[in-house]
Amino acid sequence: MILSTMKKIFKISLSMTLLMAAGMGCDNELPTYYTFSSYEFSSLDEDGGTWQPILFGSASDIVVDAPAAVNSTAYQAELAELKSATQNLSGSQADAVEYWTNNPIIRWNEIALELAAKYNLIPPPNPDGTYTLPSAANPAGPPPFPFAHPPYTSRMLAYLSVAQFDGLIAAWHYKYQFNRPAPYVTDASIPYAYTKNSLPSYPSDGAVIAIASRDVLKAMFPLEHEYLNGLAEEHLNSLKWSGSNTTSDIEAGIVIGTAVKTAALARASTDKMSSAQTPKPVSDAIKQAAIDRFGWWWDNQESPVRPVGLTPLFGQVTMWNVPNVVDVRPVPPPAPGTPEFEEAAQELKDMAKNLTHEQRKIANWWSDGLGTYTPPGHWNRRTKEYIVKYQMNPLRAARTFAYLNMAVMDAGIACWDAKYYYHYPRPIQTMQGFKTILGTPNFPSYTSGHSTFSAAAAEVLAYIFPAEANVVRDWALEAAESRICAGIHYRFDSEAGITQGKAVATYTIARAQADGAD
Amino acid sequence: MKKHLLISAFCLGATGWMYGQTFSDAVMMKKQEICFALLYDQGSWDQYWEGTQLITNENIGTFTRSTVMPMVVYGITDKINVLLVTPYVKTQSTGGQLAGVQGFQDLNVGIKYEIIKKDFGKHRISALAVAQFATPLSNYLSDYMPYSLGLGTQQLTGRAIGQYEFNKMIYVRASGAYVLRGQTEVERPYYYNNGSYYTTMMDVPNAYNVQAILGGWVLKHNLRLEATYQIMNSVDGDDIRRWNMPQPTNKMEATTAGFFAQYYFKTVEPIKGLSLIGYFNQVLKGRNVGKTTEFGGGITYQFTF
Repeated sequence: MILSTMKKIFKISLSMTLLMAAGMGCDNELPTYYTFSSYEFSSLDEDGGTWQPILFGSASDIVVDAPAAVNSTAYQAELAELKSATQNLSGSQADAVEYWTNNPIIRWNEIALELAAKYNLIPPPNPDGTYTLPSAANPAGPPPFPFAHPPYTSRMLAYLSVAQFDGLIAAWHYKYQFNRPAPYVTDASIPYAYTKNSLPSYPSDGAVIAIASRDVLKAMFPLEHEYLNGLAEEHLNSLKWSGSNTTSDIEAGIVIGTAVKTAALARASTDKMSSAQTPKPVSDAIKQAAIDRFGWWWDNQESPVRPVGLTPLFGQVTMWNVPNVVDVRPVPPPAPGTPEFEEAAQELKDMAKNLTHEQRKIANWWSDGLGTYTPPGHWNRRTKEYIVKYQMNPLRAARTFAYLNMAVMDAGIACWDAKYYYHYPRPIQTMQGFKTILGTPNFPSYTSGHSTFSAAAAEVLAYIFPAEANVVRDWALEAAESRICAGIHYRFDSEAGITQGKAVATYTIARAQADGAD
Repeated sequence: MKKHLLISAFCLGATGWMYGQTFSDAVMMKKQEICFALLYDQGSWDQYWEGTQLITNENIGTFTRSTVMPMVVYGITDKINVLLVTPYVKTQSTGGQLAGVQGFQDLNVGIKYEIIKKDFGKHRISALAVAQFATPLSNYLSDYMPYSLGLGTQQLTGRAIGQYEFNKMIYVRASGAYVLRGQTEVERPYYYNNGSYYTTMMDVPNAYNVQAILGGWVLKHNLRLEATYQIMNSVDGDDIRRWNMPQPTNKMEATTAGFFAQYYFKTVEPIKGLSLIGYFNQVLKGRNVGKTTEFGGGITYQFTF
């Protein structure tokens, strides 16, 4: 009896397990970074050292000493050391070589996006209903510093990309000035992990990227020093494990990386970001100015009410390429109550009532809200994929990111100027009881940030990747539409944002066209 | 119908896992017996656990999940029953501006097998096994917690049940289940789960469930009463980050106590297949779930086919 029961239970358990296995299959491994391998660069941009940097007069403003001769004892010792470093890689060393690839700009951009998502958390209310804001002076908080919202993230990415770009222009300048061949050219017994090319190895472009990226990100994310130091150390080591660079190549790269991060952070320290998040009296005065000018105003609708909107003075932060933010300020939105307004409001109500699956999907696809890499991050991610698709070398990749992120940050500044100049109320404020499918952000409605960021990004990408122009412009329009689908912007917010973003990008592109790279 | 429908809408965002414990008693339909049931369930909370921290959020206010559950059970043989449930869910909250949703959630089908039923004088011991499968009935968005209809993934539950009945009056029952869950497709191409994920797919953590029940029969075996205690825990997953939205990858845990009653009109000739059910559950302890107070009730009708 006992035995037969046991058998029965065993048989049932077995068949149940088989049923489960058949039904569920195995979960696919989900991607946590962009999977690509070392690739052949479509061009080496041998004249890259002559391009116009962003923060320096020219590449030679950064001084790098001449390297030891290839046949010198010192360099021969370095080659011997490198050869030994490439032998018998451990599993984790080989993984690091595979991960960082020959275009590590991609990885540092991903790391920046990951930190943006990690820190893109809005400060919670205190038990008494007040809010404590993140403080650079006390980064541990709570709440932790920073709150990596879209303006913060746009700025973080701009400084990161500009530092990388200027650093690589200097690296290219000295590479082709000193023409030290790659280690595997001088010593054929040294293996090289990536696709071979004729790029000179001194100074190491990888080291420039590692140091510039590490140090800009450390300034932007002060609680992540240990994490970033670890990544940079692995990256620098991988330059040897992969056979890319000797010690002196790397040391020269570190000199450049340090110089560009210093210049980038010097600009950042005086760009007026530190006063963008205002105290309440300043915020109230900005609101009163809009009431006096237009008769309408925006109020935060959260409980408890947030006393100050997000970065009211981000519109005064120093722009990269637009001479004056007022140059790209849109015309006023229609006043609440006018037929034009009512039409836009009615569209939102109708859409909310009959939302299609496609509209819901568009709203969510571009949501890029709290806890994510933000719209600037979304566009960086797509840019990264194009950089690999078009097999850009690190300098070209850095240039692409630099102009993209300068345009995106300028778009954010322009958009924030309009947001707080017009101080326009959101749909949930003007329409009693209106419900949305995404949370309404803590800043005024006009113009739409998604639309402005996206139009600026799309125009830069259309300039750099002309074959993709239609695709990226359609994406920008979809991103703009997504905010209407979600119920958090009126159509005129999105349309004005697209126009404004395009206007910003014309300045960015004009500068890019003059930098010597075209 | 003598089904114990312990429905706990206790997870913060989704009741997708509650059917893991839907069919967890020791009672079987006889061959060719069929039972139809219609139940209404309402779970509400105004506090939830953000990770392990119990918080209130005025932008949600009081959250309510209402579920209407049509259900059918059929006895293929005395020892094998099949079960089917298609819950219709509606969610809303009193605070904030996020829209609630409504619609059919998951199709749940189960097979219940009675392995042992043995009488020792007036005592009885029984053991059962249940296999259950759930799959979304529509393209509802799981990544809209806490409002989402469910977890938006296929789920397979294996359950073992043991019961000992004293004098046919009082019984104790214990059951344990493991819920295998797949991935859910969301509508954003990136999310953070202790790191970046560049995909629209989310892993929904597997879970286990244990239940302990003390029950008894009163009023000449017409009224069944049960006190229930159970734990439903994800085996892994991340915590809701500070003041952030929950998501299907979260590690959801809930410890619940409840009370259940079912009255059978066995002796009332014209309605002898009828019973009424009422129950109440309270989440006592949790993680990444709402502190739900839940009540429900309904009607069942059983006859031989």
